[in-house]
Amino acid sequence: MKKLVVAREELERIIKLCENIERRGLDPFTVNVRELLERLRRMVEENPDLDHYVIDAETLYRISALIALQHKWLREKAKALFIDAQMISTRLVAMDKKALVKAFLKAWHPIISLEQMTPQRLRQGLEHFLSLPPRGGGREFGWKITDKEIELIKAKLELEEKAMMEKVKALHHELLRRFEERGEPLDYWEFIKGESFDETFERAYLLSFLITEGYVDVKRNPLKNELKLIPHREQVKRKSPTSLVISLRGEAG
Amino acid sequence: MSGEESFSRRLMIAATMLLFKSHRRPGVRGWELKHRLGKNYMRVIDALNSKLKQLGLEIKTVFEEGEENNLDRARFYVVLSHPLTMSDLVAAGWRIDEVAALSITLSILSSRGGKVPLRDVLEVLKTKFPKWKAESYLERAIKRGYIERLEDDVLTIGWRTKVEVEQKALLKAVLEAREEKEIRSD
Repeated sequence: MKKLVVAREELERIIKLCENIERRGLDPFTVNVRELLERLRRMVEENPDLDHYVIDAETLYRISALIALQHKWLREKAKALFIDAQMISTRLVAMDKKALVKAFLKAWHPIISLEQMTPQRLRQGLEHFLSLPPRGGGREFGWKITDKEIELIKAKLELEEKAMMEKVKALHHELLRRFEERGEPLDYWEFIKGESFDETFERAYLLSFLITEGYVDVKRNPLKNELKLIPHREQVKRKSPTSLVISLRGEAG
Repeated sequence: MSGEESFSRRLMIAATMLLFKSHRRPGVRGWELKHRLGKNYMRVIDALNSKLKQLGLEIKTVFEEGEENNLDRARFYVVLSHPLTMSDLVAAGWRIDEVAALSITLSILSSRGGKVPLRDVLEVLKTKFPKWKAESYLERAIKRGYIERLEDDVLTIGWRTKVEVEQKALLKAVLEAREEKEIRSD
């Protein structure tokens, strides 16, 4: 029994060592993989029971991940022309700020991109504008938005928001109805599918609000590559929410 | 609409999609371009690229890790094709200190396989800046997407570095910069 506990502790140590190297980006070649595998084989032969096999499989998986990391490490090193990291650090310390910037500029090709207006951004802008305190003596420069114009813009934005909320509500009712008819969770892709890609996209977009707000739960089965929807009549508070990215391809729908 | 007209219209759509940010991050996925421009979207992208090159810009394709041949999943960006000068940098609102800190951080990350404990980077940064300044530059680099902070205070290369920085060229430039200095002192 004691022997088994010792072997288990040793395997856990190996797992921890592999995990640590992977997580902290340490040099994976500091570990002798052959020696680890030999130790593992010896332990498996000495402890032929199910419990031990489970942890043994986990250790073997970690060692395989470490070998994959060694492969990646070598590839990265080759990409970096096998330049010694210590040499780079020493040079960085010796260089002055201007030389560092000049070196960076030789390798830097910044992205060119412009922000564009969306209804959401416009609403944020309007809300910010309306929250500003009035300036003493009125505005001297620039144009003035009249109260009537502000009311008009506000009404238009409210109308758009209302229309959107109604669509979300309708989708929620549809989901609840189909769920009750079937009596089982609904397939995500089947549910969002519309007559055109645009409709599919819109349904997926609206559904994401219901999921975020807690009206719909998504169950993912990575083995079957399935996504199932479970709707709720009332909002459900989640203890530990996570993000799920679902990409829609253009040819779908 | 003639074929030529339709092609130039598709060029305009591609330019708008690539130059205007429509997601949280800049860049457009290949499948988005395919949806708007059709199956032969790479022909449009190539044509646009040659036009942009005349303006000192170019289209850069960044593949997802492990999917080096999948154009549909790749992201397309417009980047500057020529290097900026020091005065361009200052005019664009960047601080020399901040870029120097970024240069140090990315050089360390590139030379060590893309993952380094925060404390190792701070150790080098502290030789140039006070600790609080070094930390604030790192925070800014994280916010801008040049680096990412993982659990256990480990830094890794961010999405923006993969798009904007030629890591090999950066390491080469760091090595050459020292040599230039040595030659001058001789």
